[in-house]
Amino acid sequence: MSTPMLEIRNLHVRVEDKTILKGVDLVVPKGEVHAIMGRNGSGKSTLSYAIAGRDGYEITDGDILLDGQSIVEMEADERASAGLFLAFQYPIEIPGVATMTFLKAAMNAQRKSRGEEEMKTPEFMKAVRAAAGDLSIETDMLKRALNVGFSGGEKKRAEVLQMALLAPKMCILDETDSGLDIDALKVVSQGVNHLRAPKRSMLVITHYQRLLNHIVPDRVHVFSDGRIVKSGGKELALELEAEGYSAFDEAAA
Amino acid sequence: MTAPNTAKRTVHLGEAENTLISQLLSAGARGAADELAASGLPTRRIEAYHYTDLKALLGEVPAIAEEAGQVGPPKFRVPGAYRILVANGRIQQSTTPPNGVVVSEAGGSSLTERDDVLVMLNHGLVEKSLAIGLENSVDPIVHIDHRIAGAPAHTAGALRIEVAPGATATVLETFSGSDAAHMGNQGTRVELGDGARFTHIVVDLSALNSRHFHTIEYAVGANVQLRNLLVNSGSALSRTQMFGVFAGEGAHGDFSGLNLVDDGQHNDITLDVNHAVPNTTSQELFKSVVRNRAKAIFQGRIVVSPKAQKTDAKMMMQGLMLSEGAQILSKPELEIFADDVQCGHGSTCGELDAQSMFYMMSRGIAREDAKAMLIRAFVQELLDPIEDEELSEALSGVVEEWLSRPAKSPAI
Ligand SMILES: Nc1ncnc2c1ncn2[C@@H]1O[C@H](COP(=O)(O)OP(=O)(O)O)[C@@H](O)[C@H]1O
Ligand SMILES: [Mg+2]
Repeated sequence: MSTPMLEIRNLHVRVEDKTILKGVDLVVPKGEVHAIMGRNGSGKSTLSYAIAGRDGYEITDGDILLDGQSIVEMEADERASAGLFLAFQYPIEIPGVATMTFLKAAMNAQRKSRGEEEMKTPEFMKAVRAAAGDLSIETDMLKRALNVGFSGGEKKRAEVLQMALLAPKMCILDETDSGLDIDALKVVSQGVNHLRAPKRSMLVITHYQRLLNHIVPDRVHVFSDGRIVKSGGKELALELEAEGYSAFDEAAA
Repeated sequence: MTAPNTAKRTVHLGEAENTLISQLLSAGARGAADELAASGLPTRRIEAYHYTDLKALLGEVPAIAEEAGQVGPPKFRVPGAYRILVANGRIQQSTTPPNGVVVSEAGGSSLTERDDVLVMLNHGLVEKSLAIGLENSVDPIVHIDHRIAGAPAHTAGALRIEVAPGATATVLETFSGSDAAHMGNQGTRVELGDGARFTHIVVDLSALNSRHFHTIEYAVGANVQLRNLLVNSGSALSRTQMFGVFAGEGAHGDFSGLNLVDDGQHNDITLDVNHAVPNTTSQELFKSVVRNRAKAIFQGRIVVSPKAQKTDAKMMMQGLMLSEGAQILSKPELEIFADDVQCGHGSTCGELDAQSMFYMMSRGIAREDAKAMLIRAFVQELLDPIEDEELSEALSGVVEEWLSRPAKSPAI
């Protein structure tokens, strides 16, 4: 078996003296899309932050491997350059930082750390325009400060735009469907599906099953109280929808 | 409010005060010398100097500056500006002024006398002040390039800027000099004729071991549009005090400033805006970024006179602390004696936003670069209103230079 894209072993994470992740085990092979479903407060975002390397998310036990390499000692930016991308549940508004400046800084920072040449402005503009077009993003939006004044849907599309431009090998999408109407959901899902590739894996975190009608996962994991309590095929999402999360709380106990 | 009983109390005078007194006497300013001998330099007990205790902080006063030798190229340069080089208080170099600019000299300080030690010293020590008349709209920026050259020197200088009614102009004053423990005491009086549109940019890039004091007065006529921006990134100790008086209706003033403060620096911006007549507006925006063990101070007072109805004044102070030892002290005050006014003030102080940092880093931007981007973003609001691109770029250059200063470990 080839090296999985993401492997999480017995992950325990503490945030401000509170243990939130209590032994997560997860393997996402290359080219696969896995879904994590769980009720609010079960620790899904905490998992995504811990993988991405947020300050203050202390790993007290376990390991996270990206393409076979442990990343737990790396800074967030090093993890990004190693090919990890997190689409935020709540993208951050950063007044005073122009979206284009930010995109270019991010792309070139990653290129630089991989020893690649920096992208020139015309090449960069062309890439942005193409990716924005695919996601029905108005270029006007990109002239504004990063995420400032973006609607909920625009923020989520902007996240997928960044993902397309940065071309990561492991994408984590944290509730990318929340706050989207059905049309926006379709556009965003198409954007994500467009990025599915044999050398790229995805972890799609969601609260509702409806996203998984559009982004069809290879496997589904049920998350409860900081752990994966059940794993199965895509039909598990439907089962969850029908029976509710409480049926799975038993499994956790 | 402790009004010191100057008549009887004997003040212990330190070395700095004695040097200043003898310098005042040599300059023939006996009155000022006597006054300083009686009261000493202000301490933290004097309200206006509460955060900048000059007696404790001033240190050694260097000898009065001699005529400067040849000085190097400017630290801050705006291509296309009309530049007057003033070295050690004397005009050293200027070319033919552009149309509408009249350069002359006058006797004594340009400042209004007031009960303030820096103003008193300026009056006592300045022999000749520079006068810039802006008789009609002037296109090029007028750049007064103040330098202190050579060995540690004490320089006092004064400038009067007179802007004719209806004229539009920009004056830039920069302060820099050789790497020595200088002390500079500058006075600038700006008189704005009715309907003038005036921008005044002041940049302190003095050596990091020097002391810089600057008193600025604005006499604002009717229907004037005034914008000022102060940028401090130099000096071990600095105090820039601004006194603005709205004397004609319909005028608006934007007062703004940026303190970029690093290890060991103590930079004080003190602002006093007086709305003396009805129907004037002002906006005050001051920001401080402080790194390592350093101090930024902002004192802002807005006074609205009893007859100054319909005054609209909003003052905001924002601070960004980048290290544990950083200190930002701010004291906003409103003194309102009219009833039909809109006045307010706010003050915020914090560290770099952790969520923003994580967001940027999660996209591959290294920690230090993410910090720099957030600091630039914090500062940008002050630079945005500057319309002249070359000036704006030169100001961004000051921010960049500050950001790229080698990180020091905070002194314990
Ligand atoms: N910074 C924090 N400090 C303390 N507790 C937190 C913090 N962030 C999240 N939590 C707690 O961790 C738990 C999991 O939260 P989260 O990961 O956001 O869940 P989900 O994304 O599944 O809704 C919740 O109980 C939440 O209150
Ligand atoms: Mg969440």
